[in-house]
Amino acid sequence: MNPVLASRHAPSFALIQAHFGAGLAGACLFAATLGAKALSLEGHFFQGAFLGLVHLCVLGWLMPIAVGAMHQLVPVVFEVPVRSERLAWTALGLYVPGVAALVAQMWTLHNGWTFAAAGVLVAASLWLYAANLLATLARTRTRTLTGCYVIAALIWLLVAVTLGAGLAVHLHAPWLRINHLQLLRVHAHTAGFGFFGLLIMGVAFRLLEMFLLAYGADERAGRIAFLATNAGLVLVSFGLGLPARALTLAGAGAITAGVIAFLVQVRLIWRRRTRRTGEAAQALTLASFAHLLVVALLGAALALLDLEQETLDRLTLAYGLLALPGFVGSVVVGQLYKILPFLVWLHRFAPYVGLKQVPSAGEILPEGPRRLQAIAMQLGLALLAVGLVAALPWLRAAGATIFAASILLATRNFVRILRSQP
Amino acid sequence: MKIDPNAWPLVDALHDVHDPETGLDVVDMGLVYEVAFRPEDGAARVVMTLTTPACPAGGVLLDGVERRLREVEGVRRVEVELTFEPRWSTERISEAGRRALGWS
Repeated sequence: MNPVLASRHAPSFALIQAHFGAGLAGACLFAATLGAKALSLEGHFFQGAFLGLVHLCVLGWLMPIAVGAMHQLVPVVFEVPVRSERLAWTALGLYVPGVAALVAQMWTLHNGWTFAAAGVLVAASLWLYAANLLATLARTRTRTLTGCYVIAALIWLLVAVTLGAGLAVHLHAPWLRINHLQLLRVHAHTAGFGFFGLLIMGVAFRLLEMFLLAYGADERAGRIAFLATNAGLVLVSFGLGLPARALTLAGAGAITAGVIAFLVQVRLIWRRRTRRTGEAAQALTLASFAHLLVVALLGAALALLDLEQETLDRLTLAYGLLALPGFVGSVVVGQLYKILPFLVWLHRFAPYVGLKQVPSAGEILPEGPRRLQAIAMQLGLALLAVGLVAALPWLRAAGATIFAASILLATRNFVRILRSQP
Repeated sequence: MKIDPNAWPLVDALHDVHDPETGLDVVDMGLVYEVAFRPEDGAARVVMTLTTPACPAGGVLLDGVERRLREVEGVRRVEVELTFEPRWSTERISEAGRRALGWS
């Protein structure tokens, strides 16, 4: 009897398309807003416009795509169907209006009951997502390093959204005894490094193996990265929350060590690759990992150094930029260039395999538009980062404009892929 | 790869079934372990593997192999058996496949 095929566990394409569609709409909105606000991106991070921008980036763009990709990846990689596809649709139905209401009110720093309610709605939808995927993973018999990363990422997501909902309620009706800025920092790090960081690191091992045909690398560096990053996150969370500088420093050191171990693991996989590929998707993924290293080092420096407020503000903004659109955004766009053509191929071209000549997934869209988009995205991010650190408004505007153009180009590329027919 | 002397037309046909990610066909990818054919009753049998049990294109490749073999003259019945013993490794990729991947 044939073994049960993992690919048969994939959920409906409509579910994945709905998440990716929401994410691409969020990406365009974020890029346009970033371009419009670039000249005034200065000062302390606790401003309505910054909070709105960051949440538009994370909740509008990155999160729906990450969640959509997880719903495709988890059933296939862990060989078990999603616990409840209906629950995933319900979560999306709560999520989209929740994020729209939250970001709009955050932008104006409107902290009425509707703001708190929007925060709780978004948190509820993400709890449902996390619970559904954790229940899915609980049914798998496949025990892998990637599985450990995904489970840890989902647990950190639960922590981050619970803190976020608590903060939203606190800004409406204060109930916390600690400074909300301290908790906001914990919220940002548990979401950024805890959820996105661990998810990307864990999934990267699997996707790099698959796309590069690079199986069999020693996993010890990946295990060290897992332990160091999680330990560092616990220390940083307590260090920023209490606050206790020694804990923050120790945690930042552990996270940096974790990131370096992760990069060592990536190098081990890369060296075993059977495919020599100059694809934009892989270039964006490697650029993302470079952003991650800079973010980890910058985070450690911010924890270590006593900087004057203005310098601290500038570096904090650059830190956020390189972490979110830089690290997470680059890998999201890069991997979407691999995942989306494959899914379109699977659902539209696969029925003709064996009957007539069909293009490979990579041939659905020529490489040129992807390369152009990847270059523009990295150039825009670099100019924007330098503009933030050097407090040069014209450079920020130039960088944000190029970045926004690159996101629009990426969206055009993705729409072309989605519309392709055999 | 173990090939029945009668089965070469089937192997030729399998060169038309391509992996969507690499673009290589299933034979050059080294995914096909056995091909057998009984002309007397038109029974074709293929034993094949996937690069990994979690291969997202697994179902498509198996269906594609079956569809393609049904098109071969004289074939009336197709059995595609999936196995992960022995596990696939990159050493199984043919010379032509390696060249296509830019490796040699």
